[in-house]
Amino acid sequence: MLSAAAGDTNSFASLIDPLLDPAYRLAAVMLADRGAAEDAVQEASIKAWRKLRQLRGEVGSLRAWFLSIVANECRMTRRQRWWGVLKMAEIETNPDAEPGGASYDLRQAMLKLTPDERLPLVLHFYLDLPLEEVARILHVSPSAAKSRIYRAARRMRSDLTQEEVF
Amino acid sequence: MSNENFRRQVNDAIDQISGSPSPALRDRVRSSLASTPATSGSYWIAAVAAVVIAVLLVGVLVVANPLNRRSPVGPITGTNPTPTQSASSASPTAEPTLSQMVCGSAKPVTSSGAPAVAYIDALRTGTHTGYDRLTIEFKNGVPMPTSVEVKPQTGTTFTQSPSGQTVTLQGTNGLLVTIRGADLHTDYTGSLDIKTGYSGLVEIRRVQDFEGVVQLGLGISGPGCYRWFLLANPDRLVIDVQTS
Repeated sequence: MLSAAAGDTNSFASLIDPLLDPAYRLAAVMLADRGAAEDAVQEASIKAWRKLRQLRGEVGSLRAWFLSIVANECRMTRRQRWWGVLKMAEIETNPDAEPGGASYDLRQAMLKLTPDERLPLVLHFYLDLPLEEVARILHVSPSAAKSRIYRAARRMRSDLTQEEVF
Repeated sequence: MSNENFRRQVNDAIDQISGSPSPALRDRVRSSLASTPATSGSYWIAAVAAVVIAVLLVGVLVVANPLNRRSPVGPITGTNPTPTQSASSASPTAEPTLSQMVCGSAKPVTSSGAPAVAYIDALRTGTHTGYDRLTIEFKNGVPMPTSVEVKPQTGTTFTQSPSGQTVTLQGTNGLLVTIRGADLHTDYTGSLDIKTGYSGLVEIRRVQDFEGVVQLGLGISGPGCYRWFLLANPDRLVIDVQTS
């Protein structure tokens, strides 16, 4: 971390290397576009590198800090796309998730959510982050983060109880 | 449904949506990092410096007004280029961005404002790349709020006023320039029928100079595309006729 803060790009690249996969998943779900997701992760990495001083050497906060930059980059990408080329979601069909299956239904339901509704779901379910870290990425309190996760999950499946979500 | 069951289904859905990142992603990130400066501090400094310079520049332009712009009348687009002394060398330099040429079929272009007497003291012509120019210079200030109208016509026959006699100029098409609240006989001593020998603007002839209305007929060759605008220092009306 110290050498990264001193300007060593290799050190910084090594620091964020384990975060690239979760960052990509987050971006891909938010954007529903795999190419755009990789672009967003790349751009977010550059921004993180430029803003590294903001982290003040707190390695423990690196993941939440980096993922929040990725989420912001996804929002910016979507805003730009609003007036640019409108790309349709490119979803590969999984043979195990044909229409009628529970997984297929959930995927369709998830794609109907807004990107900001999908974000807490990825953080909580897929990346399995602690609630406090989800809250830091969303820039809200832990109770508000919990509420957002539950609300988004309920939008996918209305009969869910809190116990099934947390 | 249990918590784990739902989590697994959500994760399956996310897997289907996202797939796996391409193997090249890490290399892309590393190479882009290698070519990026560590902090954005220098960019901020550059941005702040650019803003300060822009503000100073705008301040100087507003306060000093080096272009000496006047209030616009109609399609005034000019500044104050050095007046031309030669009838054949009206300077196209130091001029503002000129408006588009209007072609013969267009409606007449009219300036706005109440009339006032403007004394014409010179008619000059010049030829330039792409256009021929007629400059009508006023002795006592820009003809503001004189109304100016430039009206294209087919053919070069004009009706003189007040005699009612017609006159046919050289060329194939015409422009009738009307300046209300103007005077061509008090200070102007030059020719009232100027044959230029140019390829676009071939002849200029007085059609009317009566009761404060001056009309000049312009005989032109070609499609009859033109533009006009008012300039200051000296105050003048400029009419350009396209030649190619």
